[in-house]
Amino acid sequence: MRPMTDSKSQIDYQPHTTGNAAFSFRSVSKSYASRDGAPVLALDEVSFETPNGGITCIVGPTGSGKSTILRILSGIEQPDSGTVQIGGRPPRELIGRIGYLTQRHTLFPWMKVGENIGMPLELQGTAPDRRHERVRGICTMLGLAGAENRYPYEISGGMQQRAALGRLLASESPVWLMDEPFNALDERTRHRMQELLIGLVREQGLSILFVTHTIDEAVFLADRVIVLTAGPARVAETFDWSVAHPRDRLSREFGETIEQVRRRVESVLKEDDNRYR
Amino acid sequence: MGEKRKDTHWADRPAGKLLLGSLLPGAALFSWWLAIRTGTAVVPRFGEVVSVLFHPFVVPQDIYSRSLAFSLLMTLIRLSLGFGLAVLTAVPLGFWAAQNKIIDRILYPLVQLARPINPVALLPVATVLFGLSSLATMLVGGLEAWRYDVLDQVQLAMIFILWWGAFFPIFLSTIHGVRSVRAAYLETMTLFGATPLQSARRVVLPHALPSIANGMRIALGVSWLVLIAAEIFPGTRSGLGYMLCTACKTSDYQYTFAAMLVIGVTGLLIDWLLLRLERRVGHWQAAER
Repeated sequence: MRPMTDSKSQIDYQPHTTGNAAFSFRSVSKSYASRDGAPVLALDEVSFETPNGGITCIVGPTGSGKSTILRILSGIEQPDSGTVQIGGRPPRELIGRIGYLTQRHTLFPWMKVGENIGMPLELQGTAPDRRHERVRGICTMLGLAGAENRYPYEISGGMQQRAALGRLLASESPVWLMDEPFNALDERTRHRMQELLIGLVREQGLSILFVTHTIDEAVFLADRVIVLTAGPARVAETFDWSVAHPRDRLSREFGETIEQVRRRVESVLKEDDNRYR
Repeated sequence: MGEKRKDTHWADRPAGKLLLGSLLPGAALFSWWLAIRTGTAVVPRFGEVVSVLFHPFVVPQDIYSRSLAFSLLMTLIRLSLGFGLAVLTAVPLGFWAAQNKIIDRILYPLVQLARPINPVALLPVATVLFGLSSLATMLVGGLEAWRYDVLDQVQLAMIFILWWGAFFPIFLSTIHGVRSVRAAYLETMTLFGATPLQSARRVVLPHALPSIANGMRIALGVSWLVLIAAEIFPGTRSGLGYMLCTACKTSDYQYTFAAMLVIGVTGLLIDWLLLRLERRVGHWQAAER
């Protein structure tokens, strides 16, 4: 059976994964205790897979449990049921090899930027000179050359996020979990960060799971998009979008694809609303 | 078009601060001078006090006391030992109690009961417990103790009450500091593969330090008050408080006033040093909010 593709913009609505998926969720459910004690279902049998290498975006309305998915994948939280795997292994086995970045960068404010970036290396026991060398290299690559000896609160938001990315690079994690990391930045900086991210993915062969509620961002970054409904979250749709990088934000094609995706996402979510409410 | 330069308020400029800051001391000096002139109060002459301050190594003739310099030294030694002991016990215990529920539950009632007890009021109790033994007594025994002048002047009872006064603020602010560490920071460390010890050293400690430093500053203020009061108590043979009181008894008020001034200035200096420490370890806090 031929996959259903929209040939104009190369969207594949029935994607499949070959080989070991980078991130894999199988029938994962998770509840939280709410204030009055009654458990609230956050994730309802969520299943998805992401391809190795490249960026997969999870798109969904606020409160749809997107952050929960990342927290479970990182190993910070445990699912109530279902299987979670990263590259075929449970997250527990990969402590220290999973990169995690949120909207609030959590750089340590009492340490200088250089120390922050070098922290993963310090934790692994790398010698100081080797560490400084590596940090310097990362700073140059990310355009942070002057900021090594500054404190995080002394540099701009964009630079802080770049420093946080630098810290991830230093940890040499092959898989990254990113939770709306560029939300707090202005549009231009956001675009630059997105381009930077794509560059890094291609250079280092990373596999990234990127949560966002912005369709534009998803279309620009992703090879696969997973659409999540509002809580209790279910996977409403998954599709692959195989346009080569670099993607031109200003082209008409790009604009049309965004429209298409947006309409599709809207209709899928509305369908879901009607079915379950 | 030129920019409007933002002017510093005159009260924030060095000259302004100096002027405003010297108003009250100036008024005090003036009242002192007035009292001398009109003879309405029993106060020493200006010159006499200044002479004592400028000759700190001279042993006073008419009162049974050591020199001003030695008195200051003894007071500072006692402070360092008592306060130092408090820091060494309160910080580790605070860390432990903040992370271990059981220890916290065990210590909590005792801490809340003991904290409000004024350490100065505790001195008679301490004297009963420790007698008049000193560091020298501990090291070489009661008979030879008198040979070791400085060590013999550091009474265990006094160290005990100094410790009591300083322990609780430091202990509680350590717990507060450790508990207030953001979970996000600890999670980040764990995700990078840190061991609990690494997290404690690189995240918990720096994050808690401003709170601990603040507790230390408060504790030091308490200790300073307690110490001077305790030195007035019988059983002491030296120290600023001792000099102040003894001179009062023999009406040699120039020593009293001199001791008072030294007490005030030293207290101010120590507090200022700790304030600087607090600012240094907490430079990042404003940004966190």
